[in-house]
Amino acid sequence: MKKIAELFRRIFHLRERSDFARGLSEEMQHHLELKTEENIRAGMSEKEAQYAAQREFGNVTLLNEDSRNIWSFRRVEQFLQDVRYGARMLRKSPGFTIVAILTLALGIGANTAIFSLVNGILLRPLPYSQPHRLVAITDSYSQGSIVAMQKILKTMDLGGYLEGAEFNLTGRGEPSRLYGTSVSANTFSILDAKPALGRIFVAGEDHPGNDNVVILSNAFWQKILGSDPNVVGQQIALDGVNRQIVGVMPADFQFPSQKSQLWVPLHLDPRNVGTYWGSGFMPIVGRLRNGMSIAQAHSEFRAALPQLRAAFPWKMPDSLWGGASVILLQAQITGDVQTKLFVLLGAICLVLLIACANVANLLLARGVTRQREMAVRAALGADRRRIFQQLLTESALLAICGGALGMFLAVEGLKWLKIILPADTPRLASITIDWRVLAFTASIAVITGIIAGLAPALFATKIDLTESLKKGGQHSASTASSSSHRLRSALAIAEISLAFVLVIGAGLLVKSLWELVRVNPGFQTESIITARIMPSKSFCASAVRCQNFYGELVDRVRAIPGVNDAAIVDVLPLDGRVDAFAADMEGHPRNPRDPAAVIFDSLIFANYLQLMGIPLLSGRALAPADSIPDAAPVALVTAWTANKFWPNQNPIGKHVKRTFMNGWITIVGLVGDVHQENLVSRYPAFVDGAIYEPYGVNQATGRPRLTDMTLVLRASNNQMNYGQSLQQIMASLNPDAPVGDVTTLRNIVTKSSSTARSTVALFSVFAALALTLAAIGIYGVISYSVTQRRPEIGMRMALGAQWQDIVRLVVGHGARLALIGIAIGIAASVALTRLMKSLLFGVSATDPLTFTSVSILLILVAIAACYIPARRAMRVDPMVVLRHD
Amino acid sequence: MVKDNSSRKSDLLPGTLEMLILKTLDRNDEPMHGYGIALYIKQISRDVLRVEEGSLYPALQRLAVKGLINGAWRDSDTGRRARYYKLTAAGRKQLIAEVADFEKVLDAILRVVQPA
Repeated sequence: MKKIAELFRRIFHLRERSDFARGLSEEMQHHLELKTEENIRAGMSEKEAQYAAQREFGNVTLLNEDSRNIWSFRRVEQFLQDVRYGARMLRKSPGFTIVAILTLALGIGANTAIFSLVNGILLRPLPYSQPHRLVAITDSYSQGSIVAMQKILKTMDLGGYLEGAEFNLTGRGEPSRLYGTSVSANTFSILDAKPALGRIFVAGEDHPGNDNVVILSNAFWQKILGSDPNVVGQQIALDGVNRQIVGVMPADFQFPSQKSQLWVPLHLDPRNVGTYWGSGFMPIVGRLRNGMSIAQAHSEFRAALPQLRAAFPWKMPDSLWGGASVILLQAQITGDVQTKLFVLLGAICLVLLIACANVANLLLARGVTRQREMAVRAALGADRRRIFQQLLTESALLAICGGALGMFLAVEGLKWLKIILPADTPRLASITIDWRVLAFTASIAVITGIIAGLAPALFATKIDLTESLKKGGQHSASTASSSSHRLRSALAIAEISLAFVLVIGAGLLVKSLWELVRVNPGFQTESIITARIMPSKSFCASAVRCQNFYGELVDRVRAIPGVNDAAIVDVLPLDGRVDAFAADMEGHPRNPRDPAAVIFDSLIFANYLQLMGIPLLSGRALAPADSIPDAAPVALVTAWTANKFWPNQNPIGKHVKRTFMNGWITIVGLVGDVHQENLVSRYPAFVDGAIYEPYGVNQATGRPRLTDMTLVLRASNNQMNYGQSLQQIMASLNPDAPVGDVTTLRNIVTKSSSTARSTVALFSVFAALALTLAAIGIYGVISYSVTQRRPEIGMRMALGAQWQDIVRLVVGHGARLALIGIAIGIAASVALTRLMKSLLFGVSATDPLTFTSVSILLILVAIAACYIPARRAMRVDPMVVLRHD
Repeated sequence: MVKDNSSRKSDLLPGTLEMLILKTLDRNDEPMHGYGIALYIKQISRDVLRVEEGSLYPALQRLAVKGLINGAWRDSDTGRRARYYKLTAAGRKQLIAEVADFEKVLDAILRVVQPA
């Protein structure tokens, strides 16, 4: 308490400080006068009296200072003094100051930008209430399984959600294609989402009869319905079916991603066994019930798995959902990018370290030239701690300026990052610079200032007074300067090692990307255009009409001038979507209790295989006659599948059937394999094989009725803009069906490697930064060394050394530093690159080719950095130098 | 190098100067200026306690910062301005505590020094 009162008194005193100082002098003056009078009265002469009084009083100046110091905030005043002095010194050497601030700004800014990614994706809590109670169950589940889970599990409330429900909107202006999500009736209440208008779904609305409702996204409501406040209760026509609008969500509600424009309830119909149990496997979101923990939910879930597997109307493999677990929802959303983000953060920290080393080097060099100033200050009475404090304040000033500029760079950098990262990076669009990022920037600015300034400040205060005052300046050969030179060399070596690690990382990633792009996807990618054709469900309710429509479409597209061929397929390769069914394969009799094979099924029409360049290895291709409703069911099998199930046998004539149907399908042809999932793997691990079936419904074999298909066409010339022609054809054939996603196959293939590309781009930028900074570091050390050794160089030249010898001297020094740095870098890289193994493809973490090329690159860079100092060394005039000393 | 609070030669135990100042102000009801305080101490102690008079001023500031005395400008009898110091209530309390402490220490010293 007393301390606080004292603090306040001190603060109030601040205002009258100058008055106080004057008053104190007067007071002491007054005291002296009275004392002098007393002495005079005691019998001394005036002069004697004065001297006696002053002697008795003491040192006025010192007493004045002491008295004032009692009231002052000494530490604060010292600090402000240091800041002012530091600022002045920095202004005096603008070149140094600008380079140092820029270097720090680059390091701090880049770190801030990457950290804002880490913060926005991994650290920021999800925008739902009590996000730590929200969980997800990994893997995906059929509608029937979810309903079973909702009954059985007591530790959490859960619901499913399936993104990718597409609808044609008609009756509100131009027909457009909408992208939405089907959800369980309770999914919204699990998220505790509050609507902006109307209500969320209620229990039972996912059952047939109750499910003609829809909830709209805020963006949709604004754009298409013009923010009409009375939409609730109105009807809109989706796919020809009227649904009632029951609610509109607020603008910041984006579930599961910002692509969803509307939400409809699932249509849970247990009678439709195929859909209810066999297709549309979806992820689950849940909320822990009161008092339950994730661990409890997880064990309950695992214990219930046998029961859930048995609920299927057919036998599911015991390995189904074998690895499934209950995890935090946030972990599921961000899980895939976590490793990549941390690798990026680690890399950019290395860049910051290099920047610190560079600034430390600059400060050390500057410290040597300031030795005289330090010596004078010490001689005048400054203690070592004070000087050390002041120097540290200077580097803190640099760091703060660097941090401020870095903040600005980070804002720009974040904009660039949002463009360059793949669009499906979770939560990317909503990343901002929030308080956590600001706190991060402030802390690393302070830490950077301390790291960069510590060693130089220590060195600068380690001075030998007489030595420095005598010699001073550039030619000081004192021990402090030579050990500072050693430290600077060590720092340059450290920079090389760090840069080496980063360039290795970039090199490995580049090689990965190269390997990835070289993968043969199994089909031709040039000159092919694709478009999504999406007739409404009511249009395709008649299978005949639907089929005829597609047939007509293909004919008309073929007739467009410039088009070589056209075909239809349900899912393009590399699309990532996998529709599979449980199959019985001929020759593999199965106990009903054993699991069935999982076969991926692709429906094609017309010359799809030929168009895509997928080779027909034996047998025949599919013909239009195979699509006729009562035609004998046939299919084509892929080479990998045939090899797996019928090795060394002729697959032609073998049979396959869906486990829950009766009709057998006959294999009539063998075709080449394609990459369906991505460039790394053809199919997900749970898929056992793949077949192609002709487009068209078949009751006996269970071939599905599909409405949306993809049109592919091959263009003979390089003209790629067929969008308009397609629109025209569609307008005449089926005006209610929009044409969407018109793009080239080449684009799709490129997009499938977009994650790898963005990682490579980022890492390359870091590596380039690191290399530049390290080159500057070497340049600094070599340049300084040349300056120091001018007398020696002059001597050598006088003794007959040629310019080649001098150059060899200088460059040799640089190369030596580089080699040591490379050696350390190799050791560090071998240890560290295993952390990025999951980002690499087709390349080992210790790939010798990469290591060799990066070593050579670094040596070349080091030699290049020595170019200017070497030239300076060559121009040394021995006469001038020898005379000068 | 040079420190801020250099110890000066004084006959007094550290801290007693402040106690003496407080007591001086307590004894004399009216406010006193620095010279007056120094004179009083010299006179009452019969010239035994000779304080380096300047050191009074830092001591006065220390007391003022702690809120134990208050200083006010007044015109003195000589015509010059001077600061006159007065004890505060807190100062009075502190004085009692300090005197008690001092007497305890004094007692202990006396007991040790007492002839057997």
